[in-house]
Amino acid sequence: MTARARWATRVIGGAALVTTALTVWLGLWVTPPAKVMGTLARLLYLHPPIAWVALYCAFGLAALSSVLYLWRRTRSLFWDRLGASAVEVGVVFTALTLVTGSLWGRPTWGVWWTWTARLTSTALLLVLFLGYLALRRVPADPDVRARRCAVAALVAFVDVPIVAFSVDWWQTLHQRGTVLNPGLTLKVHGSMAWTMGLGFLAMTLVFVWMVLVRYRVELLADRIGDEELEVSLSERWAEGATVADAAVSLALPDAAPAASTGQGAAVGLVPESLGGRR
Amino acid sequence: MTLATAPDKAAPARAARATPRRRRLRLLLVFALLAGAIVYLLVEGLGSSLDYFDTVSQALAHKTRIGTTVFRLEGVVVRGSVRRTAAGADFEVSGGGRMIAVHNSGSPPELFQPDIPVVVVGHFASVGSDLFVSSQIMVKHSATYIAAHPTRVRGPNGKIAP
Repeated sequence: MTARARWATRVIGGAALVTTALTVWLGLWVTPPAKVMGTLARLLYLHPPIAWVALYCAFGLAALSSVLYLWRRTRSLFWDRLGASAVEVGVVFTALTLVTGSLWGRPTWGVWWTWTARLTSTALLLVLFLGYLALRRVPADPDVRARRCAVAALVAFVDVPIVAFSVDWWQTLHQRGTVLNPGLTLKVHGSMAWTMGLGFLAMTLVFVWMVLVRYRVELLADRIGDEELEVSLSERWAEGATVADAAVSLALPDAAPAASTGQGAAVGLVPESLGGRR
Repeated sequence: MTLATAPDKAAPARAARATPRRRRLRLLLVFALLAGAIVYLLVEGLGSSLDYFDTVSQALAHKTRIGTTVFRLEGVVVRGSVRRTAAGADFEVSGGGRMIAVHNSGSPPELFQPDIPVVVVGHFASVGSDLFVSSQIMVKHSATYIAAHPTRVRGPNGKIAP
């Protein structure tokens, strides 16, 4: 990671912190209670922004990265790492969407959870992308894993429009969009509206910061993996050469100098798979 | 001569290149078709079975078919109809210009009030009856948020004017 990238990450992290703190302050102390819902409406500044990040930012980025990985012209492990980072952050935000929704549902609807279309499809989304993360843990060649995961992300992404439009397609307990409704009419007013807008900005910045950090972790993990492979390969080689030297000197005392120069492989005492790489 | 023979020489190489590309394209097409089929099945195949409730007019239209089976009924609580009882509350819900009387047992949620849309879980008291016996009320609030006191201002002392 370049110095500029590290600096950008820090700036975004700082901005995320400031906007989140501002949202909390405005949401809890400055904005008025809402008609009907009273003070319960304050979850408006948190729950929709979190859901926005999960659905559109995280899984949108994951789907885009997957397409760019699968497309031969843009194929690069960069897209695989970026997609994986976005999915991991997206899973956290989806879980938070369900938790904050549940906390909001109990006092307003009267239930923690119910099998209405919006909730069910969101729970399914969480399970689908948890499956993606499980798939990443299956040992495979990096390119094979990247291809599998890209396809899995695109399959799971099919659920995103279902979640988004569930409240328009079916009769559900969940209300329709306050911002993203068919007429794109903002149904929240005054200071409540711009506090919600700030909430959207804050959560998006938190998302960007988390993805940047997660991407760096993924990159470092890959590098460590490569270095560990090289170290273990050279260790195995040294081991093989020593064993070869010992064996050859035991069997053919006169041939020992030849084995020590690396000809042990020729007599089949060094694993073939390593012999090719020496 | 060179011009005439060059395409012939290049043709097999081009064909070899085109085959995996065509295969990929075919795979993509199959993938898109599968994804489309899943969405179509979910939206059209499952159709109204994914609807969480029946509205008042839907319930009354299918009253004979519904009988006394348990279902979720949605309607707006009629102003002036709410009567708190020892068990819960009796009220009427309206929708599409029609009304159904609800007898509920169990404490209603915090936001339960006149003019608010609710979903009640229960069944018609008997076949052909207009009374809905419910065991649970869920409040279905709207997506609109309006300040409770839009005109309130802070005075010079920093306190909110009543």
